[in-house]
Amino acid sequence: MSTRRVFVLFGTLLVLWAIVAQLNHALTAIRVYLFAGALYVVAQALFQPLRTGLVISLLGGLLCDATTPVTFGTHAFLFVAAHAAVYHLRDRLPRDDAAGRIVMVLLVNLGLFLVFSFTQVHRSPAPAAIWPRLLVDLLCSQLFLALITPWFFALQHRALVLARASRENLA
Amino acid sequence: MPFKRFDQARPFVTLGVAVAAWAILPGALKSFTRATFFELTAPISIVASHVGDLQEYWALRLHSKHELIRAGTELARLNASYQVAVQQTNELRAEIDRLESLLRLPSFTQYRYEHARVARRDFSGWWQRIVIRKGRNYGIPLGAPVIFSGGVVGRVTEVHAATSVVELISSPNVRLAGVVEGDVLGRPISFQGGVNPTFAPPTGIVEFVPLDVIASPTSTKRLVTSGLGGVFPPGLTLGTITVARIASDGLFKTGEVKLDERLGSLTEVTVLVPLATE
Repeated sequence: MSTRRVFVLFGTLLVLWAIVAQLNHALTAIRVYLFAGALYVVAQALFQPLRTGLVISLLGGLLCDATTPVTFGTHAFLFVAAHAAVYHLRDRLPRDDAAGRIVMVLLVNLGLFLVFSFTQVHRSPAPAAIWPRLLVDLLCSQLFLALITPWFFALQHRALVLARASRENLA
Repeated sequence: MPFKRFDQARPFVTLGVAVAAWAILPGALKSFTRATFFELTAPISIVASHVGDLQEYWALRLHSKHELIRAGTELARLNASYQVAVQQTNELRAEIDRLESLLRLPSFTQYRYEHARVARRDFSGWWQRIVIRKGRNYGIPLGAPVIFSGGVVGRVTEVHAATSVVELISSPNVRLAGVVEGDVLGRPISFQGGVNPTFAPPTGIVEFVPLDVIASPTSTKRLVTSGLGGVFPPGLTLGTITVARIASDGLFKTGEVKLDERLGSLTEVTVLVPLATE
């Protein structure tokens, strides 16, 4: 496992966290929330060796756990589980194609969002009434991810190249 | 062939090992890891907040001197009325102290007002919270009430080195006791943060509302803090009850509370630090 690669990719996840946090901060007035969990997982699962990718997904999950009021380890577990699933299928996925990557990110985000919602929805005093809001959030998140995914994959690739930690071609 | 089968299952075996390792990890280590990761992100939020303040400062610099003079005049008028209010407050406080000593009543909790800028707002369907730019460095205690000009904001749920996390009253995780303003009997009502729909003001729900309380969208009732529990001082605005209908048990009513829309765009709040804890 390359420590440098872990640091570089975790750095990109920190950048992603900062961008999403600032966007969510700006969107509070209209009560829209963006969830970008899949971006913490898919790139590593598609292009990194198993252990390196798992460690980065785990770190990304812990980063999300530390800044949200959930049981510590919830995001980490979901991200690592999603990572394992995508890694298992990655040889059968069109990972060299930008559209294929976007579709993968959207599908993984959909799964993560729904599972995460089911783990949190019991806290609401009216669990059924919360779903319209969650569906709007999900729709906005998917649109956001469709726009940001190519950029984020390119960012990770360039960061690895600049840090001379790249092993696989993401072009 | 068996090797190939194991190779395919390797991601899931690794996942199982990771989960098992996480399960046996001591709680103290998890708390330490959580605090470490939070502190890693805190400078990002603080710097972004300061950059926002700088942008606001430069935007305000573009205002003309005429606007500045007009704002100064309005501020002077406001200060004059506040000075009168301060005098009245001092007189009332002295009266309360006198009555407390005469009747040997326990005194109300005294607070120090700690104003803090909001570094980050984080409102999802699952939780509603803000991060403020003051923490242990300003003696912010855990559980302290947080207010703004529109009433109650929430309470401090996490305190870090230079930041604190405040759970908003619109969050489903917050539950506190309120009373309907003007209720001479002071009957407590249970308030809980509720659903926060998109493009609409935040809401909460109330339970155990007395049957004689009638509220509708055209005739709303103001809900204020009861002072029970000792966290929030009495009389602070929580919101307005817009609907009150008889509950299924028939003994009480349940209802909906409309919260202040400004909760979604808070930039500065005040933490009430109890003086007894200092």
